[in-house]
Amino acid sequence: MRRSTEIAESIRIAIESLRMNLLRSILTTSGVVVGVVLVVVMGWTIGGLDAVWEQAISIMGKDMLYIDKWSWSGGGNWRLMEARKDITLQQAQLLASRMESAECVMPVVRLWSGSVVRNNTSLRCGILGTTNEYGQTSSAELSSGRFFTSIEDYHGAKVVVLGEGVAKGLFPGEDPIGQTIKIISEPYRIIGVIAKRGFLFMDFVDNQVVIPLESFRSTVGLFERSVSVGIKSGSERMLDIVRTEAIGHMRAIRSVPPGAVDDFSINETQAFDEQVKNIRIGIWIVGMGLTILAFIVGSIGIMNIMYVSVTERTKEIGVRKAIGARRNSILLQFLIESSLLCVIGALIAFPFAQLIVGSARYIAVDLLEQDWASVVSPLIPLDLLMIAVGVSIVVGLLAGLLPAIKASRLDPVEALRYEQ
Amino acid sequence: MSHPIIEISNLVKCYEMGGEEVYALRDVSVTIGSNEYVAIMGPSGSGKSTLMNMLGCLDTPTSGTYYFNGEDVREMTDDDLAEIRNREIGFVFQTFNLLPRATALQNVELPLVYSGVSKTERHDRATRALEQVNLTDRMTHKPNELSGGQRQRVAIARAIVTAPSIILADEPTGNLDTKTGHDIMALFRHLWEAGNTVILVTHEEDVARHARRIIRLRDGRIESDTVNPDA
Repeated sequence: MRRSTEIAESIRIAIESLRMNLLRSILTTSGVVVGVVLVVVMGWTIGGLDAVWEQAISIMGKDMLYIDKWSWSGGGNWRLMEARKDITLQQAQLLASRMESAECVMPVVRLWSGSVVRNNTSLRCGILGTTNEYGQTSSAELSSGRFFTSIEDYHGAKVVVLGEGVAKGLFPGEDPIGQTIKIISEPYRIIGVIAKRGFLFMDFVDNQVVIPLESFRSTVGLFERSVSVGIKSGSERMLDIVRTEAIGHMRAIRSVPPGAVDDFSINETQAFDEQVKNIRIGIWIVGMGLTILAFIVGSIGIMNIMYVSVTERTKEIGVRKAIGARRNSILLQFLIESSLLCVIGALIAFPFAQLIVGSARYIAVDLLEQDWASVVSPLIPLDLLMIAVGVSIVVGLLAGLLPAIKASRLDPVEALRYEQ
Repeated sequence: MSHPIIEISNLVKCYEMGGEEVYALRDVSVTIGSNEYVAIMGPSGSGKSTLMNMLGCLDTPTSGTYYFNGEDVREMTDDDLAEIRNREIGFVFQTFNLLPRATALQNVELPLVYSGVSKTERHDRATRALEQVNLTDRMTHKPNELSGGQRQRVAIARAIVTAPSIILADEPTGNLDTKTGHDIMALFRHLWEAGNTVILVTHEEDVARHARRIIRLRDGRIESDTVNPDA
């Protein structure tokens, strides 16, 4: 009861004393304002990165793993991987026939850059040869048409599914389905177009065409090309089981002696998580450094103004003590005042932070036409605002602590005698 | 004599000043009972301010004993002292010492805030205290909108709102003109007649004359302690 009436009184006093010195109070909070803007913008950036990344891995498929000669993450010994034998199509097909836990298994061969021609227009893009199972992965979600069938694959039918970039490049404003293009001088009939899958550094996935593996063998050839094996586990839950089984089969197929390390890499979207985590940490460290700096500067300002406030109100403190304010009452009064000052700083900061965040998104999405950025929220999320207010209160309490202790320990006799 | 509120014996207060010990009070013993009207007199430097701070539990003695309502003040912590000031003592200062940004009513409510009285009860009690000093028509005014006499009456209302054991007034008319001073002294007399214990600290004979008992201090000692036949 006593505490709550004192808190109510303290808040009333704090608001009044801040209102009396409005300009001074606002100027004092500038450090806190900068700190809060930084915290909020940093939090939003990390949140945006996560959203983009979430979208990215869902396109690649969280339930997918790939067995390759090379490791995606760039980790491991480069020379060791170079020395590995290529994964052959036979090995890939053997694995596909032996796998039991996976939903489907597909060999994938890739020519990074081949020519694709329509009448007089030509462009270079990736050429992917795979089986019809590839159509079941999220990488091959179609915007129109259909994927090729196992029969078309078996017979090496000359049919092609275009990536979104290729479709736009060769058929601007037209429907490509049913049309014919030449892939390395062989005519292919277009049966489907894959929806836009690319984003950021993964743009190349839109700039490729997908053809049946058998057609790839005849048009491009498999000579000296390491095959990648895509395995769809069906669910994230199954990943561990599928991985273990795939490694076991693959070691047997490639005759890796017991105790020796794998002579192939298991690639998963998780491998990219590590890189994204590093970017996150990078943003976090830089942001935190700046934020802490701003808050230190800010809290020195707050502390300074609180000392001024304590001195200005020495007589008032004396009166309050004479009529029965305990040390804690005075302490509380000044702590509430300093944290309120910081909360005001936070409230001033929010519109600025929103302006920065909103402009950044507008520039990325509307001016630079980076569609991938549209998954990032244009508003600062509420929890981030709460955190910022919380941090400001803590900063206010810390900055106000020494002045408040000084005030609470004033000798009432001397404080009453104090004249300005 | 009635039950004693204040029992001081052999009280000494010594300050350290520039490495030298200065005795403000030397061996003061005094007992003040309930519903007394006492004036403490003396020239400046006589120790009357120090004695007032002691009586008001704003400061603790160097040696000697001080019992307030039977409680040993020397044993008390800062917070105990704050609580006893809040509950038992009503201060009236020469310079009023009202909070400039609070209304008259809020100023009077303030001691009740520190004793944790609820908002509605605070309002009721403060209103009643202001009624006792005839200031109900100025409740929402801030101190700078009030005359000196009105300010002092607000301060008196603040002093009596907690129904304290003693009202301790330090030169209450020192900043007022003679006519207003008389009004304030009449108010103290009225409070005393209503059963309150009033202690005045003053150097003016005119003011002291209102009290029933006059204690004169000189050089930190009690020079005389007499009953005032005029009052």
